[in-house]
Amino acid sequence: MASTGYEVARRLEGGELKGGGMSKEAQHGHGHTHGRTAHNMSSSSLRKKSDLALVSKVRCRFLRALLANLQEIFLGTKLFVLFPAVPLAVAASYFNFGRAWLFALSLLGLAPLAERVSFLTEQIAYYTGPTVGGLLNATCGNATELIIALFALREGKIEVVKCSLVGSVLSNLLLVLGTSLFFGGLANLHKEQFYDRKQADVNTGLLLLGALCHILLLMFGYVMNSGEHPAVDAVRRLALSRACSVVMLLAYVAYLFFQLKTHRRLFESKEGDEDNDGGVSEDEPVIGFPSAVAWLAGMTAVIAALSEYVVGTIEAASDSWGISVSFISIILLPIVGNAAEHAGAIIFAFKNKLDITLGVSLGSATQISMFVVPLSVMVAWIMGIEMDLDLKLLETGSLIMAILVIAFTLQDGTAHYLKGLVPLLCYIAIAACFYVYRSPDQTDKGGALITAA
Amino acid sequence: MASRGYEAARSMEAGNLKGGGGGGLGKEVHHGHGRTAHNMSSSSLRKKSDLSLVSKVRCSPLRAFLANLQEIFLGTKLFVLFPAVPLAIAANYFHFGRAWLFALSLLGLTPLAERVSFLTEQIAFYTGPTVGGLLNATCGNATELIIALFALRQGKIEVVKCSLVGSVLSNLLLVLGSSLFLGGLANLHKEQLYDRKQADVNTGLLLLGALCHILLLMFRYAVNTGEQAVDAAPTLALSRACSIIMLLAYVAYLFFQLKTHRRLFESREEDDEDDDDVVSEDEPVIGFASALIWLVGMTVVIALLSEYVVGTIEAASDSWGISVSFISIILLPIVGNAAEHAGAIIFAFKNKLDITLGVSLGSATQISMFVVPLSVIVAWIMGIEMDLDLKLLETSSLIMAILVIAFTLQDGTSHYLKGLVPLLCYLAIGACFFVFDSPADQINDINAGVLTTTAAVTKAY
Repeated sequence: MASTGYEVARRLEGGELKGGGMSKEAQHGHGHTHGRTAHNMSSSSLRKKSDLALVSKVRCRFLRALLANLQEIFLGTKLFVLFPAVPLAVAASYFNFGRAWLFALSLLGLAPLAERVSFLTEQIAYYTGPTVGGLLNATCGNATELIIALFALREGKIEVVKCSLVGSVLSNLLLVLGTSLFFGGLANLHKEQFYDRKQADVNTGLLLLGALCHILLLMFGYVMNSGEHPAVDAVRRLALSRACSVVMLLAYVAYLFFQLKTHRRLFESKEGDEDNDGGVSEDEPVIGFPSAVAWLAGMTAVIAALSEYVVGTIEAASDSWGISVSFISIILLPIVGNAAEHAGAIIFAFKNKLDITLGVSLGSATQISMFVVPLSVMVAWIMGIEMDLDLKLLETGSLIMAILVIAFTLQDGTAHYLKGLVPLLCYIAIAACFYVYRSPDQTDKGGALITAA
Repeated sequence: MASRGYEAARSMEAGNLKGGGGGGLGKEVHHGHGRTAHNMSSSSLRKKSDLSLVSKVRCSPLRAFLANLQEIFLGTKLFVLFPAVPLAIAANYFHFGRAWLFALSLLGLTPLAERVSFLTEQIAFYTGPTVGGLLNATCGNATELIIALFALRQGKIEVVKCSLVGSVLSNLLLVLGSSLFLGGLANLHKEQLYDRKQADVNTGLLLLGALCHILLLMFRYAVNTGEQAVDAAPTLALSRACSIIMLLAYVAYLFFQLKTHRRLFESREEDDEDDDDVVSEDEPVIGFASALIWLVGMTVVIALLSEYVVGTIEAASDSWGISVSFISIILLPIVGNAAEHAGAIIFAFKNKLDITLGVSLGSATQISMFVVPLSVIVAWIMGIEMDLDLKLLETSSLIMAILVIAFTLQDGTSHYLKGLVPLLCYLAIGACFFVFDSPADQINDINAGVLTTTAAVTKAY
């Protein structure tokens, strides 16, 4: 009594069981034409095999297809437990729960949504081919950070934008990479851990370019404030920021060209996989193209709504919980927003597939630093908002040191757990720094904390 | 009816044609001539001298003289810029616009710098490898040195510092970046390798120089914020001490490069299947006495043009509407380095990255560890107070440039993105100094009455 929908479902299920985890050797031939970057493969480790047995019992074919679709979308990830936070957040907004609650629920709701957006991007990549798929992933891979930044810009909270973006880069570079290398090193204590350092070098070079631009702006700000050169003012700093943003975007375009066209080989996963891990990796897409696009649009809209709540309630949460806005923007926001990628990176490090781990963490850091940051400056320019690239002293100093630590850590192509522990402890030190740091708007002239305004 | 001069010319020409072929850059037997990467790079801009025209002249000394002249003046593809030299002198005497004098002098310096390099190489044939290498190490950046000394004499210490920092940045980021970028695009599907040991030596020395500059900068900040209760005098003493250290390092580097670890710095390519139109001689093409005279003469002309350049830099800045910083840091080095730059790119196209690195990194090290401390010492002798304290922007640009290059070159391979990143860094630094105004412009603003309003606005911050 098999109908077409049932057959598709069965074949998918059978395909999953047969396709056997991550064996990519035979599939690389056509596998990478699906634009599976390290980013996609990492997220796929959080997928669950959809058990379509229950759905297949439904008689009505249309309803069955819809339910299969829904099951794939909503239950296809281990993070689905966080999904209820989304409607709860919406409810919190309308029924005026505490604003701190709204902040927390929105933040929690963003985690599974970010993962689903990555999944949908991967599905769409099946239909559009490797180059467009890679481009899509490169643009939407950090959709959450981008959307939060744009909303914060719109509300004029420029410091939140800068802090959250710096925090994302720091989180990717130190926290995600550090924990992955640490746990991976402990799990593979007696094995050799290798990765291709060329990929790390490319990312490090671009991150250093971004850091150079930030340093130039910071020094510019200092010269400006010292008053030695009256002609050096904020207008010029803004002009320099915008020029540097253009330079950074040029570099990012060249990086995409390098990664997707001319030196593809450097970025493909090289492992032959013997073991069938619990990760679901399909050769074929599991949902249709229009369906994927519709869900992508819908989820992005929900992410936008939740991001608006997050940005709007950040000060209230800061007052309510007694921690500075800097700490929330730099530490908390990125940790939660990045949770899916983080988990994926750790899982692949456990399996000693460090190329994927590096691709995820370094690639995200490069994307945010060289794409999202200058894009925010450009968008602010269009919106008439004066955002520049001048992060403050602490943030710039942390960024530089983080890049240097990672550059030195990754320079020899091997890894062990201490190589992961060092960046991890760096991150804890930076977090401690921002924990005790009170930003100027929260303290009055005497240094005392201003209570909720 | 062949006289000795004619025979010499003929054998030279034959030598050119022969030497320019397969012998090319196979340097296994040619080390004795002290051909460093610097020389080889400049040689890519040489042209084969066509002596057929000269050989028709009957009178033998005249023929030799004309052959000499042809070798000197027409032996480079940059000869088109030579007319700028007499034009610059004319501009000075007939009082053309001072901005014109600046531009013409700058343009005239380019071919002269290349010819000095050529003459140094010729002299090296006669003096042996070590002295030749030393000569090259000293005169290789003669232009920057002479400009620095003239600027010192006119008391323009900021111009000295800016032009030297600009030279280092230009060599590290612009020359190296554009070479690696274009070379990477041209050799898209080939392996691009180089020996990283050479890069490491240079990077280490550059970091030493950067340390000295940072110490001076931080010293000034510590003094200004009141952490240390000292006055300005120790800054000068510290600068002079650091300069001596830097010169010591440079001497050691020369010893390392020319005596004990020569092998590291020699070009490794043995296969030269393609006959590029590079002229590379086994023998010198002009006599020793002739080379010396020309070298002295050209140095004098370089000195003259440098004096014009240094004297008219503010006028050009006003006339063109860009800051003196920008001219010193960006424009001056780009034009002064043009010959080396072109050579480095050509060798990168041919996938001979060791030579490219030798040229760019070697120049940067030379300027940072020789010309800069030498300027401080010379200033000391002249009684001028020059210290090693570059300002905040310049020092941080320098540090980041060295870091970017150190990380880029640390694995011994290259591709076009490795060249694009330093190039974009240079673009960002150039943009920074473009919007940055130096105090000299402040004076003009005062005259224009603009200063009062801007001062009021900035005070509000």
